[in-house]
Amino acid sequence: MFDVNEFILKKAKELGFGDVVVLGYEMDRRQVRFANNEITVAKNWHERKVELFVELEKRVAGTSITELSEENIERTLKTLLSNMKGMAPKEDYYGIAEGPFQYRDIPETFDKAIVELDEPNEYVERAINAALEEGAKRVAGVLYTDHNRLYLTTSNGVEAFDEGSGIEISVRAFIGDLESGHGTNSVRVLKKFDPESAGRKAGEIAKMAQNPEQGPEGKFDVIFDPLAFANLLSYMSFMTSAYAAEAGFSFLVNKLGQKVANEIVTIKDVGNMPNGYGTRKFDDEGVPTRETTIIENGTFKTFLLNTSMAKKYGTETTANAGLIMPHAWNIVLEPGDYSREELFSEVKRGIYITNVWYTRFQNYVAGDFSTIPRDGIFLVENGELRQIRNIRVSDNFQRILEGIKALGKESYHIHWWEVSTPVSTPYVLVEDVGITRATK
Amino acid sequence: MHELVEFAVEKALELGASYAEARFEEKNGTSLAMKNGNPEGLEILADRGMGIRVLVDGGMGFASTNVLTKESVSEAVKKAVKLARAASKVRNEPIRFSDEDFHEVYYEVKMRKDFRDVSPEEKMELLRKVEEEVNATGVNVPMRYLGYSDQVWHKIISNSDGAFIESVIPRVSVMYNLVVFENGQMEQAPFVQRAFSGGLELIEKDEPWNWAVKDVQALKKLIYEGQKAPEGKVDLVISPEVAGIAVHESVGHPYESDRIFGREAAQAGESFVKPDMLGERIGSEAVTVIEDPTLPNSWGFYLYDDEGVKARPRYLIKDGIITEFLTNREYAYKLGQRSNAAARAINYNREPIVRMANTYLAPGDYSFEELIEDIKLGVYMVSFNEWNIDDRRYQQRYIGREAYLIENGEIKHPVKRPILEITTRALWSSVDAVGTDVEMFPGTCGKGEPGQGVPVWMGGAHARLRDIPLRRP
Repeated sequence: MFDVNEFILKKAKELGFGDVVVLGYEMDRRQVRFANNEITVAKNWHERKVELFVELEKRVAGTSITELSEENIERTLKTLLSNMKGMAPKEDYYGIAEGPFQYRDIPETFDKAIVELDEPNEYVERAINAALEEGAKRVAGVLYTDHNRLYLTTSNGVEAFDEGSGIEISVRAFIGDLESGHGTNSVRVLKKFDPESAGRKAGEIAKMAQNPEQGPEGKFDVIFDPLAFANLLSYMSFMTSAYAAEAGFSFLVNKLGQKVANEIVTIKDVGNMPNGYGTRKFDDEGVPTRETTIIENGTFKTFLLNTSMAKKYGTETTANAGLIMPHAWNIVLEPGDYSREELFSEVKRGIYITNVWYTRFQNYVAGDFSTIPRDGIFLVENGELRQIRNIRVSDNFQRILEGIKALGKESYHIHWWEVSTPVSTPYVLVEDVGITRATK
Repeated sequence: MHELVEFAVEKALELGASYAEARFEEKNGTSLAMKNGNPEGLEILADRGMGIRVLVDGGMGFASTNVLTKESVSEAVKKAVKLARAASKVRNEPIRFSDEDFHEVYYEVKMRKDFRDVSPEEKMELLRKVEEEVNATGVNVPMRYLGYSDQVWHKIISNSDGAFIESVIPRVSVMYNLVVFENGQMEQAPFVQRAFSGGLELIEKDEPWNWAVKDVQALKKLIYEGQKAPEGKVDLVISPEVAGIAVHESVGHPYESDRIFGREAAQAGESFVKPDMLGERIGSEAVTVIEDPTLPNSWGFYLYDDEGVKARPRYLIKDGIITEFLTNREYAYKLGQRSNAAARAINYNREPIVRMANTYLAPGDYSFEELIEDIKLGVYMVSFNEWNIDDRRYQQRYIGREAYLIENGEIKHPVKRPILEITTRALWSSVDAVGTDVEMFPGTCGKGEPGQGVPVWMGGAHARLRDIPLRRP
């Protein structure tokens, strides 16, 4: 596709555009959705498109081109030009990265075996069977395979290519109406794929969750399963973007250099993580992805930036472009030194939450939010687990980070419908978490 | 394009499909943003492609392509058929569709002021107007994020049962996030949207800047004059906006038949509603909830759904009784009914699934004054921020953004963050009176995997709830 990229760049320069970024995609994605132990639909997407970013005297614009004929490309560029001419400039635009750059291959991001996989239904059946063997009655979920090729060309000397693959499954197991569990597995190479583990975990939790009682309310020490804490960190990942902060969607506004979490908390974005579901070789400007420490030992170190926003704030890009909106690739909460058993033994009376969904904010800048535990929820008393239901976590984001008092030593990589930015997190113990419930 | 759509259906039947449906969709439009007074990027949308959905041996397959040649469409059809055939082997019973009457129809929504003829700079002026009017209030609003978007949706749907539906629907919207900082305190009106199906004249008439001004003034007043909300059992009057989110979350969603039968179990969840609950009482006699895609100029507007079935108003609750679920053809067949045209797909590359359109609490016969006149102690919740509901749609919570104390039949000072956390049955059983005037509010309803955020309206009339256990932060 580089010939298409070059043609677009050449024509854009001829028309007088300044910065130009051409990001071509070729994507093959398959999906198998299942519910009630059977496949509800199987899908296939093949897509070829170019995402185009152009700048004209500080006016910026973007579009996708899916019809890649020369006529359509020229027509699109002329449309952009005529639309931009009357517009006011974006005064805080400071350009894109200066290439070229050197790129390294990142291990475990491409596997031909996934591309050549003829038919993934056997993995679905393996996951369903694993959940049923644990005692589930109904199993639902989704499996994806991915094959992506990226072709990046910019007016600042970048020409870069990346090819990636992936396979992932999300499994939810049910016994009755109120007893369910959830497990996921997301990997980039086929030999690491373990659909049974997702099915088994879903089935085990559903079985443990049978006949739950109404849960209590008040302040509790809460152990968040990696699946549950990944949801909160995925929301936080958006709030670490400098764009979100400027737009009023982040509790980290005006907190650079300040303590925002317990000192055992270190949170990174790792764009070049081997086997990470969000891993890419380069960002949308061609800057090689890397590891960026966002919160170090409890102190907020940096927002995620692209070149323009970095220049605005007198610093360096963190390789997270998004040309308009910088974003995270893989969020990592550094693990601690507790085994799972040690973590549970820390809790005299608390709650174990295996999954949450529907996280919503009262106030983004203050960080006040609530989220709803779903699947198995357990009261933890002196090492014993008792199944409960119908509670809600109602608290503040920064207070949750400050209340983290222990971290498991094993990390889990989570990516599913509710965790759109992949997150690696251990089990997390947070003290004095607000728990509420409906009383009518 | 008509020929290519027909070709896809014929090709699928040739390859052994018992049912085939092809949907061409084209979306053209612009979006603009303004952040703290700075114009952000202009985005031009020009997207088109075709999705093909088939049934083979009782299995369902779907494939899409954005390369609109006979070869590419033919390849997508082959993939859909192959996937459906393989899926049929992992099924307990074959998928079947209800019988329906199908039509050949063309319809479009006219624009009085066609946004395609308006320059981006003129559209940006709408955002600048919001910016200016908000700044002119003198309220300190340090973070202001504004967005404008317009799109024309052109669809052609054909299926092997005889539907051939072509439609052109323009959609236009303005949204804002405003953070008010006064007296060392901060309050926020996030993701507020005004949105319609139709031309630019609808936004101009709606004057979104007035909504923004009202919001920042209410938040300033809340900061300076807001007091703690009462706790414990009080009466609660909810506005059309709050009634809208409540009917959407706790009536519309749990009545989606795919959710009732478990198809959404791994993502958007299941439902506390079971098929045998049709005819059961769920609320007081004052409660009627209607779902109607056909409301003119509504954000969720359509006249035929994405399976080609003709749309009509649907009474989900009538006088407190569950009367109808939202269905597509697959689940209408399971229920032994006809589809009520709730199948929607957000784009050519998504399958049609059961969705809401415009959901509202039907009006009663109380004026606003009558609703509050005998309330000794209560709260009037005008707008909300944080809200959520469990995945069976039973335990929910809405927190007031703008809210006021009601004392001895009068609206008094603002109250801070009254929290309504309640079960669905308790919520709708507590309503003893509903107002006369209906208002609608836009939203984007999330469901499906991959996600399909569809435009919807939510609203209704004011409603009075008796003996509600309100809480505060």
